[in-house]
Amino acid sequence: MYEPLPTLPVPPELRVMFPEGGLVRGRTVLCSGDAAVAMALRVVSSATQAGSWLGIVGVHNVGVQAASEHDVALQRVVFVQPASSRTEWVSTVAAVADGFDLLMLEVPHGVTMADARRVQTRIQARRNALVLIGATHQSAVQSVFQPDVIMNTATTKWHGIERGAGHVQGRDVQVAVSGRRVPKARQHSLHFVG
Amino acid sequence: MPAMNAESTRVAVVACPDWQAVAAQCDLHARGQVFDAVAVLHAQRVIARTAAAAEQGVQVGMRKREAQATCPNMHITAHNPERDRLMFEPVVHAIAELVPLVEVSMPGVVVLATRGPSRYVGGDDALAQRLTVIAETALHKLAQGQRIPFGVGIADGRLTAMIAARSAASVGLPRVVAPNESAQCLAVLPVSVLADFAEIDRNVVSLLQRLGLAHLGNIAEIQPSILVGRFGPVGNEMQRLARGLDRHPPIVVAPPPERASTHRFEAPVEDVNVVVLTARETANELVAHLGNHGASCVRLHISLHTDHGEQNDRVWYQPEGLTAAAMAERVRWQLDAWIASRGVTSGVVLFRLSPIGLRAKEGRQLGLWGDSTEADEWASRAIERLTAMLGAESVRVPEWRGGRDPAEVFTLTSAAVVDVERRALSHVTSETQWNGALPTPSPSVVYDDPLPVLVCDARGEEVTVSGRHELSAEPTVVILQQHHYNVLSWAGPWPVEERWWDTSRQRRMVRMQFVVGRNDIATTTRALVVIREHGQWWVTARYG
Repeated sequence: MYEPLPTLPVPPELRVMFPEGGLVRGRTVLCSGDAAVAMALRVVSSATQAGSWLGIVGVHNVGVQAASEHDVALQRVVFVQPASSRTEWVSTVAAVADGFDLLMLEVPHGVTMADARRVQTRIQARRNALVLIGATHQSAVQSVFQPDVIMNTATTKWHGIERGAGHVQGRDVQVAVSGRRVPKARQHSLHFVG
Repeated sequence: MPAMNAESTRVAVVACPDWQAVAAQCDLHARGQVFDAVAVLHAQRVIARTAAAAEQGVQVGMRKREAQATCPNMHITAHNPERDRLMFEPVVHAIAELVPLVEVSMPGVVVLATRGPSRYVGGDDALAQRLTVIAETALHKLAQGQRIPFGVGIADGRLTAMIAARSAASVGLPRVVAPNESAQCLAVLPVSVLADFAEIDRNVVSLLQRLGLAHLGNIAEIQPSILVGRFGPVGNEMQRLARGLDRHPPIVVAPPPERASTHRFEAPVEDVNVVVLTARETANELVAHLGNHGASCVRLHISLHTDHGEQNDRVWYQPEGLTAAAMAERVRWQLDAWIASRGVTSGVVLFRLSPIGLRAKEGRQLGLWGDSTEADEWASRAIERLTAMLGAESVRVPEWRGGRDPAEVFTLTSAAVVDVERRALSHVTSETQWNGALPTPSPSVVYDDPLPVLVCDARGEEVTVSGRHELSAEPTVVILQQHHYNVLSWAGPWPVEERWWDTSRQRRMVRMQFVVGRNDIATTTRALVVIREHGQWWVTARYG
C-alpha cells in the first residue's frame, strides 16, 4: 500500500505549488528572489496556525508585523541568533530542530556541503520542515543545500502606488517552482497582499 | 476587630467587568476611532464585550458570526493580553498610592488585603468608598470622559469578594459582605460562578449541574472526601471555594526555610533586561527550592528597590502556580509599569521575590489549564536549551507594543523571561492601526539599522521636503549602496510626528514609499519604505 507522506499544511493558494499538497516533513524548501521573505512567511503560516512552532534562525530584519499579516501565529515563533562561528551554527540549527517543527534559515556565508548535509540529515531524522531564505546569494545556497523544492519569486507588478499617489496595497508575483522533488518545473502567478 | 478565620483572608476587589473589551475600546478611542459596541474574540468566540454590545444581546461565548448578526455595527478585535495589561496599569497605579501592596492576577481586577488599609481609613465601608473614588477618577481619565463600569467588593475570601465586586458593578455602589457571612452569601449562587470567577473548568461545572448540584450550597454540604474521590484535587478546591474559604488550604507542614530570595546588585542596574534575566536565575533557584519541599508558589510578592531609595511592591497571583519564567515575566511587567509611571529615577539595586502563597505541588501543573500540547512542551524545552547555549539575548519572542514605525509595533523579548507555554494559548497580534502608521500591508523586511540613501530629482539634485511636507521636485533616481535605481512610482510624503510633548524623545520625520527598478535588470522592481529625518534620507524597510 502506498502511504501518503506526512505533511504540514500550507495556505490554499500555495497548494498547487507543492506536489504533495503541503510541506513534506523532512524536506527542504528554498524561497528566493525579490519576494523571498514574504513567500517564506506565507509558506509556514498555516502550519503555525495549526500548532507547529517556528524557529527563525539567523534571518535578519524580518518584519514581525508582516509575519502577523501573513497569518503566522506569532505566539509560536521564536527568533534565534546563532553564534558567528560555523560549527556553532550547525549545532544551533540542530538544537532548534529538536524543539520546533518548522525552521526558517538564512544560510550564512561559508557553510559547506558537509554542514548542509548534517543539517538536512537532522531535519530528516526529526521530521521537521526546513525553509531556506536565499534572497542574496541564492545560487550558493542552492548548490550547498540541494533543496527539494525551489520557489523563485519575481515581482511583476505593484498595486496601489502611482507617481505621487496611493500606497503599496499588494503585488503580483511570478513563482517559478522547481527542484529535485518537483516532477516538472512550472510557473505560477500569485497575488500577494504584502 | 472581628475574629479572623485563618482559612480565609478578608480582601477587597476592584473589578472592571469585560475589561478586555473596555481596554480595546479605550485603545481605539485613543487613536480616534470611537465605537460604542466592541467585542473581543479568542478562538472564534466572544470573551468580552462592552456594555453597549451586551445591551444589544451579544453574549460571552457566542461565535463570531452570531455576534456579528446580533450587533452588526460592532467592532470586533482579537484578544491581546498585552494591551489589557498596559491599559489597566494607570488604575493599578492609582490604587497602589493608597495601598502600597496590591495584587494583579489578571488585567481588570485588583485584589488587596483589607486588614491594614481598613484600619487606616476607618473600616471596610470607608475603604470601599475610597477605592470607588480612586477607581472612578483613574478610569474617567483613561476613558476620556466615558463611563467604564466597575465595582468594589469586600468579603472574606477571594471568590466572594470577586462576586461582590461584580454585583457592585451592575448596581453602581460598592458592596461589603460582613465578616463570616461569605458562606451564606455564596450558598444561593449557581455553580457556574466557579467557572466565571475561579477558573474552574467549564466541563467540571457542567458535570456538577448534571449531577444535580445546582448551587454552591449543595457543594458545601458534601463531604470533601467524596468530592475528591469524584473530581480529584479540584474537588477539594471547589468545596473550599463553596464554603467561602481560600482556594488552597494553608500549608500545614513547616514552610520551607528562608523563603525570600533577595538579589543585591553591586552597582545600580539601569537595563531592564539585566534585572529580568537575573530575576530569572533567582526564580530558578526559588522554584527548585520550593519544589524540593513539595510546594509551588501561587502568590508572589515582588519588591524592587532603586539606588535613590524608591521602592515598588506588588503581589502576583496565578492559581495553577508560577513557573520560574512566569516569575521573571512578572518582574518585567512590574518594572515596565514602574518605569512608565515615572516613579524611577535611578537604577535598580535590589529585588526580592517572596512566595507568600504556596500550594502543594501536584505533579505537572501546566496541565491544569488544559490545552498545552506536546509541541508546546518540546518548544519550551528547546528554548531553555538554546538560551543556555547562546545566551538569553539570542533567543527571543515577539511581543506587541504598538507604534507608528514598522520596527516599533513588535519588540523582541528574551524568551527566557516569557511564559512561552502559557503564551502559546493566547494570540500575539495587532490588528488595530495607529493613526499615522504605515498602511497595510506591512513590509516584510524591516532594517534594525536604517540604510542611508540618496533621493535625487531629474537634475541630479537631492530632493528635500519643506516644512509643509511638500517635495522640492519629483524624485527620479535613488542611490542605494552605490547602485542607481530609477523611481517608477512613489507615495507620500506622510508626516510622522511622535511624542511632540516630550522634548527628549520627540521625533519629526516624513515617510514615503518608493517603487524602484534597475536599468540593467529590467525585471526586478522593489518597493522601499524611506524616511527623511534630520535632513537625511533613510531606507527603513523593504517589501522583500
